[in-house]
Amino acid sequence: MLFKWSIILTIHRFRWAGVLLVLLITSFKLKSQSLKTEQGLQKDEQGKYIHYEVVENRAPGDSLMNRAVTFFSLKKLDVKQSVDGLLKGTGKLIISKTAFVLTHPSGEIRYNWLFETKKGKYRFWLTDFLFIPYQRDRYGNFVPSTTRGIALETNPGKLNSGEWSSCVNETGRQSAALAAEFKEYLSASQKAKPFHEPDRPVSTRSW
Amino acid sequence: MKIKSFFTLSALTMSAATYAQETTSSTPLQISGAADVYYKYDFSGKPNIGTSFANDQNSVSIGMIDLALKKTTGKASFVGELSFGPRGQSGSLPTGEALNGDNSFHIQNLYMSYAFTGKLSVTAGYMSTFIGYEVIVPTGNFNYSTSYLFTNGPFQNAGIRANYVFSPKIALMVGLFNDWNVYKDVNGVTHFGAQLTLVPVDGWTAYLNVLSGRAAGAVGTGSIYDLTTFYQLSNKIKIGLNAADYTVANHGGGHSGAALYLQNSFTPNFALGLRGEYFKIKDVPDLKGSSVTSVTLSGNLKAGGLTFIPEVRFDNGSTARFVDHNLDPTKNASQFSLAAVYAF
Repeated sequence: MLFKWSIILTIHRFRWAGVLLVLLITSFKLKSQSLKTEQGLQKDEQGKYIHYEVVENRAPGDSLMNRAVTFFSLKKLDVKQSVDGLLKGTGKLIISKTAFVLTHPSGEIRYNWLFETKKGKYRFWLTDFLFIPYQRDRYGNFVPSTTRGIALETNPGKLNSGEWSSCVNETGRQSAALAAEFKEYLSASQKAKPFHEPDRPVSTRSW
Repeated sequence: MKIKSFFTLSALTMSAATYAQETTSSTPLQISGAADVYYKYDFSGKPNIGTSFANDQNSVSIGMIDLALKKTTGKASFVGELSFGPRGQSGSLPTGEALNGDNSFHIQNLYMSYAFTGKLSVTAGYMSTFIGYEVIVPTGNFNYSTSYLFTNGPFQNAGIRANYVFSPKIALMVGLFNDWNVYKDVNGVTHFGAQLTLVPVDGWTAYLNVLSGRAAGAVGTGSIYDLTTFYQLSNKIKIGLNAADYTVANHGGGHSGAALYLQNSFTPNFALGLRGEYFKIKDVPDLKGSSVTSVTLSGNLKAGGLTFIPEVRFDNGSTARFVDHNLDPTKNASQFSLAAVYAF
């Protein structure tokens, strides 16, 4: 009898644990869905993935352009500035495969970053995303398996849709993070920072 | 013993991962690997084609499980790659030092590298060979069965080498190496090797390789000259070529040959590849050399990390080097195989 009662108690406890688990999974799912929506890439008029933003900014156009060129150089983008005031940079994002302790780069995304200014505002967009899959070479290093990228808009087919969608999501997440960093760099509130802050030894004499 | 090795590896992995979180100037520990299994049927009913690895007749057999670790801290990095299974042990690795001589250290790659500048790096240890088109780990090959050039060339070269990148289009490696495929050299570091890497146009890479030296017990100095090149013609088409000549001085024989690789990706998930090869064993005193021509057609069907490789292969020798179903000598052999390779 005592034994039976303890089983009922155990089931009762586990039922609550089950409810908690369901709530936890549901909230996690909702959170991940909302993240995906926030960080996902949009599509432009040609059906290409794009991260596009227009930002109000009262700073002079040439100052913004200079800051943008510096930012592109810091991020190691190949910079091309056209005559009509359009700044173009080409860069890459590393996509990594991570599961438990397993992590390694699975490929890179090459992209074009365009920037231009107008009175009181600027706009920028990341587009032309191309995926270059990585392959482990004979020495155990991950290297591009091809020189020709696959457009991110390509339909990967059913067999690879899972991996492909996580690659698109990761591209969106990294693009959003870069964009946030870029806007911060260009914002008027940003304080000028010295390239090398001199190391000052700790003074123990005056206190 | 193997279980113990796995536990040790796991402990090392965990501690390294913890360390990675604490060190800001280092990259996370990279862990990757591959596993493969296969079925092969030779149409004569006898195991015939003797190139590396896929040799078991009418059997579902294992290849290997391969685990690679890479860590970079500042300018220094290390790579350790272990393999377990016939492909990664008796099929491609020398035995260790036990008295019975049949143990294995399981090491495919174990080396350290230091980048003195952005252009110059020095690497020392036990490394996969820089010679040839095909590699031991099946994820690096399009075809599952291997070429005669691969089987008869070196698998690993232990040594020390310097790499210098002159520009994105030209790089040079020079090094001093042990004999082929040994963990330690009993007659000293006797081999010199070099690799010139050229990228003439975007998508085309060519490696000009040389490795020369006198191995322990050899009648003369052995020198292999190798060209490995590939061109990504479009998103779908890739062309590759491997040509090599190996000669051992003082009539010690050698081999020469060439293999052409044509691959076409019909969809992102499916590709077909054709390999045609001519291979010749050189004459030695009292034994005339022979040649073989081989054609291999392989498919690659990808689903995530998994690749299925159905394959048919036809070999034709200049002499009766194969056997038919009655065990009578014949010049021809053909086989079908189906492999599953998983990369993680």
